[in-house]
Amino acid sequence: MESAEQISEILKLANSKKIPVIPRGAGTGLSGMAVPAKGGIVLDLSHMNKILKISIEDRLAIVQPGVVYADLEKALAPHGFFFPPDPASGTVCTLGGNVATNAGGVKGAKYGTTRDYVLALQVVLPDGRIMRTGSKAIKSVSGYDLTRLFVGSEGTLGVVTEITLKINPRPPVTTTALATFDDLEDAGRAVSQIMHSGIIPSVLEILGRHTIVAINQNMDLNLPEVDAMLLVETDGYTREEAEYQMEKVIGVFNNNNPKEVKKARSLQDAEELWKARKSAYAVLARIKSHFVLEDVTVPMGKVADLLKGVEEISRKQGIQIATFGHAGDGNLHPQILYDGYDPDQVKRMEAASADLFKLAIDLGGTLTGEHGIGLSKAPYMGLEHDPVAMDVMRSIKKILDPNNILNPGKMALDG
Amino acid sequence: MEAKYEFEKKFREQILQCSRCGFCQAVCPVYGATLRPGLNARGKMLILKEIMDNKLDLSDELIETLFQCTTCASCFENCPSGVNVPEIIRQVRKDMVHIGSCHPAFKGMNEVLKKHPNIYAENEAEDFDREKNRKAEYVFFVGCVGLYREDESTEATLELLDRLGVDYTLIDEVCCSGVLEDVGYRINESLAGKNIERILATGAKTVITGCPYCYRTFNNKPQYEELREKGVEVVHVSQFLKDFEFGVRTDKRVTYHDPCDLGRHCGIYEEPRETIRKIAPDFVEMRHNHVDSLCCGAGGGVRGAFAKNSIAMARRRLEEAEEVGAEVVLTDCNSRVHNLANAKLRRQKFRIYNTTQFINELLDQAER
Ligand SMILES: Cc1cc2nc3c(=O)[nH]c(=O)nc-3n(C[C@H](O)[C@H](O)[C@H](O)COP(=O)(O)OP(=O)(O)OC[C@H]3O[C@@H](n4cnc5c(N)ncnc54)[C@H](O)[C@@H]3O)c2cc1C
Ligand code: SF4
Ligand code: SF4
Repeated sequence: MESAEQISEILKLANSKKIPVIPRGAGTGLSGMAVPAKGGIVLDLSHMNKILKISIEDRLAIVQPGVVYADLEKALAPHGFFFPPDPASGTVCTLGGNVATNAGGVKGAKYGTTRDYVLALQVVLPDGRIMRTGSKAIKSVSGYDLTRLFVGSEGTLGVVTEITLKINPRPPVTTTALATFDDLEDAGRAVSQIMHSGIIPSVLEILGRHTIVAINQNMDLNLPEVDAMLLVETDGYTREEAEYQMEKVIGVFNNNNPKEVKKARSLQDAEELWKARKSAYAVLARIKSHFVLEDVTVPMGKVADLLKGVEEISRKQGIQIATFGHAGDGNLHPQILYDGYDPDQVKRMEAASADLFKLAIDLGGTLTGEHGIGLSKAPYMGLEHDPVAMDVMRSIKKILDPNNILNPGKMALDG
Repeated sequence: MEAKYEFEKKFREQILQCSRCGFCQAVCPVYGATLRPGLNARGKMLILKEIMDNKLDLSDELIETLFQCTTCASCFENCPSGVNVPEIIRQVRKDMVHIGSCHPAFKGMNEVLKKHPNIYAENEAEDFDREKNRKAEYVFFVGCVGLYREDESTEATLELLDRLGVDYTLIDEVCCSGVLEDVGYRINESLAGKNIERILATGAKTVITGCPYCYRTFNNKPQYEELREKGVEVVHVSQFLKDFEFGVRTDKRVTYHDPCDLGRHCGIYEEPRETIRKIAPDFVEMRHNHVDSLCCGAGGGVRGAFAKNSIAMARRRLEEAEEVGAEVVLTDCNSRVHNLANAKLRRQKFRIYNTTQFINELLDQAER
């Protein structure tokens, strides 16, 4: 696929013949979003990979949807700018995929997610019409916010063919520290108190006990086997600015019975401190033949409750769940580890997922903070959204895609 | 149920371990050149899983994806689940050859090596005006590409060894045939036997190879065990050179391309750089270097079987050389020199050499 016009022709044809069309970026989506569940045409957008414009004075970048996240990062770096969402899959995933899933990452707490940066879109609608939304201006309140309607729509409403993104100057200085806590309660309180201190760290990550133990069993990092580990980064334009924030955060740690607090003195030190967090995914990915990486999200004050709840679910369902994630925005990744060829374990995994979703909703949170609904979470949409909201979503889908050709079967929109 | 194919017996668990995260897509040179998701490691592992689940069978239709892999191991290095894709692909190719599905280029290569002593079916080997098979401290083993395609570069390497006063001999070498292991066949034992016999006859205790692939084959393959048993050490020329001083320098900006066979497969990254830094103070790294180095697209039989994509991969590599403003691109593998040189665009002004050839040229200039 190379242009909106080509896509428009394909959609016109597919619409008239009622053939499903599934837009696809890099296929890194974690909830079966780009899976052609009902057959049809998979529209691979990776060839539309041009960065069309970078305008520093307008503070924006205009890209085609197949541009890989890391390629935009590379193009912005010489200008001292960046596009902050920073998903962990950034070397692979596409910006079109980021828009369609409203991707986020470790910097979510301070810098928000993709939705906060999309200024304008070009979209091909299911009937083949080509539409522009938004504007190049940083501010705009003109009409309904159609841009945001498409952000996070998981390819169910239109095919995004051009994206205008707001970009940020990258604060050049960062400081990093790590704290461990024997008691989860203390870690949870520390997270809440950081918010009270008025500081928003650029990164605030948490690793739970099972994740730490798994890392120790598979790598030579010799981590203390505690209930929780918090990794924090503050950033700024001057060293003083970053240090000032870090001092406050470390003060909070020290008030909450940490087992240990380590502050990086150099970039090399910082890399050492990041090692545990960075290795978590790969370590957990190797323990069993299969895993599900969830991304339930709760209000920040409830992070400790969520972690405790996950452990109870793990015990109750008799299945291994290791958790890590973004404490700074309440978005945790419980990784359920199981053997996909053992029907009993599959059942336990499914039961544990269902429990997790219920727990997150009970804590005032959401099924998914960044990975999206897709196929795997579709059955749980009703847990989070009331019947009126579901009805409105389905009505929007019907107006734009009356023949249900775009990514059908996803997000529980089929009724 | 008994596994139908060897690859399943040996690698079932690893293939299932692929979580389809896609990290390999970012580094797979075949994907980079084609943007076709079915061709990267994830696509290949998905296909193999379908075969294990009896939804697909190995057939000619799969030649394009399963044989289009340079075995560069970039995916393995970056795989969070530890899936050793190149090893798996090697075994799958053997299974495919076993059932009669093989890329014609590789089938041809195996046939050629049954009849001829080298992959190019050439009968006249260049002797570089040197007495062969004599008693010497070292054997210099050139390799097929150096003998038949990059003979100028080989000549320069030999001149350099002469200048450094190394007591080496060439032998009547035949193809090490290691490449057959990559493309679905087995090392040709009769060829291996000839190499071993001729190396031992010289009394040399060390073999210096010009080709990283021969280096790997001699050091790792059971068919060359006898060399190791008899205490013959095999080193690559880049390792051998690192302790020499050359007394020449270049002002040019120089960069280095890590051959996959030397770097990711053998962990040899620093020796070539030590040598280059001595002669080139303005040494720069390309964006992808060391373990992240971008594959030039020549390996795994891809240059022979999928020439167009192979060249496209080499072009991507050379763009990185251009990006850092290199005037000279050095590497330590004739096969890489060959592929990169074929891919060079006219506007790209840098020159591509083996490190040995470049040093020799500097010495020539110094003498003039
Ligand atoms: C190891 C790993 C780590 C991850 N970490 C993160 C993380 O930190 N944060 C995060 O948010 N996500 C993360 N993800 C999930 C995933 O990378 C993101 O959802 C990403 O945004 C998907 O991009 P993609 O290009 O792969 O899209 P795909 O998976 O190809 O598609 C995702 C959805 O977007 C739709 N789509 C794609 N392109 C378009 C388009 N141009 N127009 C309309 N619809 C389109 C598809 O139809 C599909 O519904 C991770 C995934 C993996 C495997
Ligand atoms: S990086 Fe490894 S686990 Fe991920 S898709 Fe590639 S082969 Fe599979
Ligand atoms: S070995 Fe190299 S070419 Fe083959 S699948 Fe892996 S990354 Fe791609």
